Amino acid sequence: MGADASDLSLVRRVQRGDKGAFDALVLKYQHKLVKLVMRYVRNPAEAEDIAQEAFIKAYRALPQFRGDSAFYTWLYRIAINTAKNAVVSRDRSPIEYNIDRNSDESYDMQGRMKDAETPEGLVLTEEIRSIVNTAIDALPEDLRTAIVLRELEGLSYEEIAAAMDCPVGTVRSRIFRAREAIDRRLREVFEGGLGRAEELG
Amino acid sequence: MNEELDSQLSAMFDDELASSECELLARRLSRDGELKARWERYAVIAAAIRAEPGVRLNVRVARRVSAVLGSEPALGVPARQPRRQLRWWRPVAGAAMAAGVAAVSILWLRAQAPLGAAVATPPLTAVPASRATAPMTASTTPATVAARAPSGPDSYVVPPRARAPAAIVPATELANYVVAHSRFSAPVARGTLLSSFMTSESAAAGSGAVFVESALDRPRDAQGNAQ
Repeated sequence: MGADASDLSLVRRVQRGDKGAFDALVLKYQHKLVKLVMRYVRNPAEAEDIAQEAFIKAYRALPQFRGDSAFYTWLYRIAINTAKNAVVSRDRSPIEYNIDRNSDESYDMQGRMKDAETPEGLVLTEEIRSIVNTAIDALPEDLRTAIVLRELEGLSYEEIAAAMDCPVGTVRSRIFRAREAIDRRLREVFEGGLGRAEELG
Repeated sequence: MNEELDSQLSAMFDDELASSECELLARRLSRDGELKARWERYAVIAAAIRAEPGVRLNVRVARRVSAVLGSEPALGVPARQPRRQLRWWRPVAGAAMAAGVAAVSILWLRAQAPLGAAVATPPLTAVPASRATAPMTASTTPATVAARAPSGPDSYVVPPRARAPAAIVPATELANYVVAHSRFSAPVARGTLLSSFMTSESAAAGSGAVFVESALDRPRDAQGNAQ
């Protein structure tokens, strides 16, 4: 079991011409990347634009990716550089010079102008969070601990096994069952995947 | 949906699946829409648990990236064509090399064949009966057999050459001898002997000029056959 084995297997497929494998990588990391870019830009819509650009750059540079580092580490660097370039480019823009860049108010105004988030979209985000949190609260103690240690603390299965004093296989099973329970609740709300979220967003 | 498959997907999402299983599942994940939707929901669950203010869960990045990349050629496609050409040449080059090796081997074996035959045939054709049976006699030691072996082929090859001089040279000498001592023999017997010598000599002459030349050496003609 090698670290980054799953990402690497998807990357190899993309390098052999399988675009569907890149979709899986984007689906996995889009939230993380948007969150990362949000350190540089304040509004979510701009962060999404930059994340999208970073993914496209990564796809085009993927033939040069040799797997010396983890895929996410490599993607992380691309996203940071793209975000920095976007900020520099925006700051050099003549239109932007008309706005006081040091004013938080002007930033917020920009954010509001560029933010394509609809009220329905915001409601949907809150709805998803609420469903997930409710589902987690309803989990048995062992499943809840396993999924929280994994997703919130970022521990590996081995570390969770040590923390919970159980075999690694049990940890894997607990995390899977916790995800399945949360996913069932999500599917009840979003029939047919997250398509409705796309429409509303 | 297969529960084991879903369990594998969950482990793969956490980078906790064996590489060999990842290969198979990655292939299926890239093609199976249902599996991909589940993968996406796992990512949403993870993002929801790590909730931070301002981060949206209904991001559209994946759809937009997929739409942009949809018009681009797949990676590896242009690079595959020269590889295919190379792959096409590889078996041809391999076959040519194999054919070359086979041809050289055949030529080498054919070049080696006469020597092998000469070594193998002496006991059957040219070796005298006494020597052919020599290894079976009690007096022959392995040392003598080993000593004879290298010299055997040299002395017993090409039997016709050995036989022709044996037929001509003694006949001439005998004819000279009979003529020189004719006074001690009866005329009829002498004639019979000479005619038989001449017959054998003409037979030997018909088999090759080389042997006639070698048999009729000049000093002897000057001494005996001038008469």
